[in-house]
Amino acid sequence: MRGEFTPAKGFIIAGLLALWCGALFGVIGSWQHVIPNVIDVVPFVKSRPLHVSLVIAWIFLTAVGGIYHYLPKIVSAPLHSTRLAWLHLVVFVGTGFAVIAAYFLGLFGGREYWEFPPVLGIPIALSWGFLLYNFFRTANKYKGPWPAYLWMWATGVVFFLITYLESNLYLFPHFTGNMVRELTVQWKAYGALTGSWNLLVYGTAMVVMERSTGNTAIARSRSAYLLFGLGFTNLLFGWAHHIYPVPSALWIRILAYAISMTEWVILARMIQQWRATVKEGKRGSSTVFGRFMFASEAWVFLNLGLALMISIPAINLFTHGTHITVAHAMGSTIGINTTILFASVFFIAGGHRSGSMRTVFWIFNVSLLAFWLCLIGAGMVKGYFTVMTDLPFQTIMEKARPFIVGFAVSGLGLFAGLSVLVWRAVKAIAFVQREEGAQSGEEPAMAKAEVLH
Amino acid sequence: MESKGSNEPSAVGVRQRRIVYFVLIGLFLLQSGLTYTVSTEVPVPAAELNSAARRGEALYRSFNCTACHQFYGLGGYMGPDLTNVTIAPGKGPDFTRGIILHGSANMPALGVTKDQADDLVAFLEAVAATGIYPIRNLDLTPWGTYREMHSDAR
Repeated sequence: MRGEFTPAKGFIIAGLLALWCGALFGVIGSWQHVIPNVIDVVPFVKSRPLHVSLVIAWIFLTAVGGIYHYLPKIVSAPLHSTRLAWLHLVVFVGTGFAVIAAYFLGLFGGREYWEFPPVLGIPIALSWGFLLYNFFRTANKYKGPWPAYLWMWATGVVFFLITYLESNLYLFPHFTGNMVRELTVQWKAYGALTGSWNLLVYGTAMVVMERSTGNTAIARSRSAYLLFGLGFTNLLFGWAHHIYPVPSALWIRILAYAISMTEWVILARMIQQWRATVKEGKRGSSTVFGRFMFASEAWVFLNLGLALMISIPAINLFTHGTHITVAHAMGSTIGINTTILFASVFFIAGGHRSGSMRTVFWIFNVSLLAFWLCLIGAGMVKGYFTVMTDLPFQTIMEKARPFIVGFAVSGLGLFAGLSVLVWRAVKAIAFVQREEGAQSGEEPAMAKAEVLH
Repeated sequence: MESKGSNEPSAVGVRQRRIVYFVLIGLFLLQSGLTYTVSTEVPVPAAELNSAARRGEALYRSFNCTACHQFYGLGGYMGPDLTNVTIAPGKGPDFTRGIILHGSANMPALGVTKDQADDLVAFLEAVAATGIYPIRNLDLTPWGTYREMHSDAR
């Protein structure tokens, strides 16, 4: 494959570069919490959206790159239109540069999450239309009932577009004349948007598992469809646990609470499968992608537990609006999504013995764990003193400072680990010769890989 | 629903899943309709944004204030939550206007005119009229939710 530059490769390399840049702005932003004005060239109002948008771009670009790579192999037919995939890449990346330029020029969308001047949303929606068309024209060639991952991808692709358009409803006066509705639009749409890309990523994880082990039953089992169904239901109705304190109608919160609690089923299922997962993790630890798949399982476990706790209103009262919400977001985007996507990238690139990457793998995961725990600590301090006392904001933040410093320091370790991983992944993808789990001189499957330790 | 003795889904199973899928989408549309109409009406007229408050909201967005500040705990973590800044003891509209115009130790002056500062304050006053945050009403049910979550809201 050397020399052949496919759209999938383009998406993945663009995604890796976006991750590195996004992580850099994340480091800058975290230190701006410790030493305000530490870097005046990129003030926090710019570093924050740069970090958020670039990291979101990493998830989209790499998940979509994986779909463009795996889909033709799954359906045993070429992608419906390679040209359209290229066009998708060019429009998406081109718009990404325009978004970055807008931030540096001080032009913002002014919304909390994935924000940029709304006019730039048009090419993003258009490019997603290219994917949607290409995906269904290709996926419909699959003979037989779809495995769960195709349902996940299809749902993620469709609902990204729906919820992305929904997130722009604030452009209409009906939504902006009322802050309760405006906040609800933001969190309803962005909550579901996050659910959409989670489906793209989880579908990718299932594909990597299937293709690395050769076990096709996983993605066709009842539990796979059950988990997909629960995930989809949560995507549609579970978003309101983010906005319990917003004074909307009570039924919105009660429904969200009830739906969120169905995730205990997923957690219980995971605990049930934990022993098998550990066994599989040890077996796959001879490859980089095997290690990352195993790490993602651990992060799902930790983060789902946290998500379930903060979905309980009595607990949410203390955690809402604190760094615990950030811990949840970081645990999801870095701990789960990023580890799954690294697994996919290294799998596509043809394996890699884990020995050479063992140190960086542990730097990444240990730093992330410290980072995550510091955010939880800061959130507990902020939540307790905000709800139980009348102390001013700055005084509360002084009390949380040791955790904020810890979060910024561990962020440096995380950035160092990510930098090496990105470098190795870019090299591996750009110069890949044999794709998908291939070890030098060996057949791919993780199941057959020699266990090194 | 599944083929006997196999993990492969049957055609009937797939059809049933598609029905479930479309039912869920129908419910999603119903929920969206209700959410964006009657379920998010603000309780008092003061919470509706007038023309000054709408201009203030546009300024709030263009300065990307949400990067640092929150409403109802939603937003950035660098600065304080602004839901009730215009009615909080020791703060109020004049205090808020002063910070907007002149900045503070941790916040730069926005470089706006006095009229624009008034628009921003009008926006923050409308937000304050929507309710109270943080919620300190701990009247909980045995299953962990609030009996009446916003009984202390105005």
